Formats: sequence, structure tokens, C-alpha cells
Amino acid sequence: MTRLTDLPPAMATRLAELECPDFATRPWVGGPALSQRRVAIVSSAGLVRRGETPFRGRDPDYRVIPADTRPDELLISHISINFDRTGFQEDWNVVFPLDRLRELAAAGRIGSAAATHYAFMGATDPVQMEPYVRELAFRLKQDAVDAVLLTPV
Amino acid sequence: MSALGHYLEEEGIATVAISLIRPQAEKTKPPRALWVPFELGRPCGPPGDPAFQQRVILAALSLLERASGPVVIADFPEDDPRAQPDPAWRPPSLPAVAAGSTERLAAGLEEEIPLLRDAHERWRAHHGRTTVGLSGLSPDACGLYVSDWLRGRTPPSPREGLSAPLLLRFAADDVKAYCLEAASAGAARPSSRQLGDWLWNETATGAALHALRAALQASEDERLRLIAGNFLVPAVRARAG
Repeated sequence: MTRLTDLPPAMATRLAELECPDFATRPWVGGPALSQRRVAIVSSAGLVRRGETPFRGRDPDYRVIPADTRPDELLISHISINFDRTGFQEDWNVVFPLDRLRELAAAGRIGSAAATHYAFMGATDPVQMEPYVRELAFRLKQDAVDAVLLTPV
Repeated sequence: MSALGHYLEEEGIATVAISLIRPQAEKTKPPRALWVPFELGRPCGPPGDPAFQQRVILAALSLLERASGPVVIADFPEDDPRAQPDPAWRPPSLPAVAAGSTERLAAGLEEEIPLLRDAHERWRAHHGRTTVGLSGLSPDACGLYVSDWLRGRTPPSPREGLSAPLLLRFAADDVKAYCLEAASAGAARPSSRQLGDWLWNETATGAALHALRAALQASEDERLRLIAGNFLVPAVRARAG
């Protein structure tokens, strides 16, 4: 588990003290009941589809993961090797819970799973990612997405 | 992750972030975040446990129905049962790794890849997938590429658009994934720590990557020192010197 006290002290300190953006505003968007929402996954695991160019470092852009992507097509190209990858190797839902969203949609707990999902490289400075995130918002709206599940690694 | 949520909400889309590092969520103050007490790399919990994962996802998504905010940071109450070691797990049977020359370490890596092939095939058959593939090279070719570097050569990258040092990083990622998948081929459910202990302390692949890290850290090329220091051996497994 990632209680910081379980990590080597140097890593725990670095993670806890990592510089984070300090935003002046606190946006808050409402919406319908969860059972009516269309949900997309936006991962920061540096996910790429097999054959795509991996994230080469702290690239600020994102990759597109269509909902018909198969588990054997998805790879992690995150720059950090300091997190577990064996969970993802065994079960992609550990990082990219698309099967779980489909089950929740089938059970009526959410409205639907989006047609397309997305991945960034999470070690990139968020300020560099900002224009790409704003562009992504346009794409999400075109897919009628009104809820985003942000998943880290 | 929390910063992405901020930007998306500014654009009018509701978000909820899963957070593995609570202090980061506390600093970024996202609209909504669910902190989970899991290992880094496992934001949705244990592999192969759909019911547990659903509880995590629903706990996160249910924050979208909170009437008051921002900022909402909730804690998921369950620990990952797969964080515990499985005493029934046995690593693949491999020859003992002996300390030796650079050439011996390089050859040991090359010889180990085919020794794990049957186990890796069982893994693929069982799971229907492999996460080997970033480099675009076969496991054997990845082993050769990494061992070439260990022998002091600088093999050209066969992939357009990926420099030789970058391909080294991805080939190293691929050999690690190959070994770890092969080691998980049976019915036992090893923890990540069990698998890491085996890879980094008991395999020729681990020994070769430790040696390559040490060799490249003495390089005059800053980029190679960066690759060596950050992308070959996890910080918790790195050896001093």
C-alpha cells in the first residue's frame, strides 16, 4: 500500500513534497445523477496502444484509446519505473478500468461508458499539459461525456 | 492527476480523481478525489478482483453526487489483499546466478530469455495478453540489445524515431515485463514484492541490469547517466556504488 510511511524515506519525501500547481480558482461542475452520466477514463499512466510511439519523456500531449481497444493492445510507457507494473500486467483494469465501467453501465449504476478514453504521461508538468487538456475537453464534449474518472499510477 | 481535473472542470466537465498520494491531492485541492491506500501502480486495487475494483470505482464516481464542494477528498477504507505475499508461489527454476565478468553477465541475460519462454507462453495463454512490446523487439532481441550495451557497445536503434538510449530504456522495460510475466505464470498469486525480490536478487536479467546501471552511470554522456540512474533499476532496488 502507498501510505507514505511504507515507502523508502527519500521517495516518500520526494512524493510528498512534489511541487503541485496552486490554482487561484476552485471550479466545480455539477451534473445529473450518476446513473445518467457518460463516463470517460483519463489516465496519467503513459498508456499507449501497441505500435504507437511511446511517450518519450515528459511529453505533454495525450494518446487516444478507443473503447474497442483490446487488453493485449495497451502498454504502459510512463517515464517512472518506481511503481508496480505487475498488477497491470495481470489485469489492465488495475490501471484502466474499462471492463468495470462497462459492467457498471450494464447494471445501470452509470449511464454509459464513453466511446473514447485518453492517457497522459503523468510526470509531465501540468502547466505544459494545460493546452492539451483544454483541447481534450472539446473532444469529450463531442462524445457527450459529463463525468471523467482520472486514474493515476 | 488532480491538476488535470482542475482544467477539465474549468472547461465544464465534472471530474473525480483517484489519488495514490494523499499529500499531493491535499496540495492541489482537486474538485473531488478518492485517496486509495494501495501500492503505486495499482490505482483501482488488486488485479483479478472485479468486485473489489468495482467498489473502488463506485466510491470514486459517487463523489460526483456530493452536493457540496469543492474540495472533496474522501478515503477508501479497504486495503489491497493482493499486497500480501503468497506462500504458495515458487519462482521459475533457473540456474543460480554467479558473480562474474561483464561478458558472463551479458551472456547470462541472453541465455535466461529462452529459459523463461515456456513459462511466458503459459502466461500469454492464460491471460490472453502480454505487456511486452514498447521496444517493438522480440524478447530475445531485447536481451541482445541490452547485453550489447553491457558489453560497452552502442548498438544503433532499429526503430525510426527512437534514439539508441531511448530504445535501451524500452528494451529494458520489455525484458523486465517478460521476466515478471513468466514468473507469474502459475496458479499462485505472488505480491509485487515477491516478484521484485526474485527479479532483482535471483535472476541473470536483474544482475545484468544492475551491472549496466553501474557501468552507464560512469559514462561521460549525460543522457546515458540519466537513463542509467532513472530507467533501468527501480530506486528501491538500486545498489549503492
